[in-house]
Amino acid sequence: MHTKTIKRLLFILVVIIIGITIGYNYLYQDHRNIEVEKPDFKVSAKAITDSFINQPEISETKYLNKTIEISGIVTEFNKNDVTVDNTVFCQFNTDINYALNEKIKIKGRLIGYDDLLEIIKLDQCISITD
Amino acid sequence: MNKKHIFLLILFLISTLSFSQNKYITKTGNVDFEASVSSFEEVKAINNSTTAIVNVDNGDFAALILVKGFRFKNALMEEHFNENYAESDTYPKATFKGKIKDLNVSTLNTTSIFKADGTLTFHGKSKSLNDIAFKINNVDGLITITGTFDIKVSDFDIDIPKIVSDKVAETVNVSFDFTLNKK
Repeated sequence: MHTKTIKRLLFILVVIIIGITIGYNYLYQDHRNIEVEKPDFKVSAKAITDSFINQPEISETKYLNKTIEISGIVTEFNKNDVTVDNTVFCQFNTDINYALNEKIKIKGRLIGYDDLLEIIKLDQCISITD
Repeated sequence: MNKKHIFLLILFLISTLSFSQNKYITKTGNVDFEASVSSFEEVKAINNSTTAIVNVDNGDFAALILVKGFRFKNALMEEHFNENYAESDTYPKATFKGKIKDLNVSTLNTTSIFKADGTLTFHGKSKSLNDIAFKINNVDGLITITGTFDIKVSDFDIDIPKIVSDKVAETVNVSFDFTLNKK
């Protein structure tokens, strides 16, 4: 009888610990890691720009918050960002080193279409080397 | 050259003039907001992908925030913000369009306060904001604009569920920090 009570208490304790662990991992889950995610789409900067200009709403539904691989030519670059084919603006979490007119591939998360400057914006970008 | 040509030439000159306005731009402006309640987990997000444009000739100011670009420390909070509060799939953009009054950057040599009026649109709802203090400076050809203002979540048709209402403030403090380059 006595050991049975202890066993039952132990069982309840284990259940509680598992519950807390699951709950904690749910509440404090990790952020998406774009770096290891497989791209949902691989497109040229020009193709995705055309898509956003011609079908803004459909493109938003299709690409928003997705991991995208972009290819094109560097038309502008700064310490942490690069513009591909004048219309795709990619932000990096680290410093970058590109050259003007360099042909590049970049993976990042598409955060939206900026219609003030008519550019597509990506964040958490990384450089892709074949 | 006939009259038509002269007319076209004048038209061309006018259009060139209007394009050569003094515009300053950033694509990486910072906007963050905080709706924390003390002694509860901080409710705060930072967006460093904000576009802002100011026309220093007439004070026209516009900012565009891609809502998906708001980053929270807590991933679940970020998910809830996007899905339940900002509904960023439906409303991916927040904008501010307005005018900075009596803007004159050419004589600026220290951070000065200007007042701005404008309309903030978020979650599909617009709210006009008046006399927001913009702290502006002009250093080595870079214009810096910083400031802060408060908004009520109810003005933007956002309901905070009862279950978390004591952990999320009804009034949200928004601050912005832009460093703009001449275009």
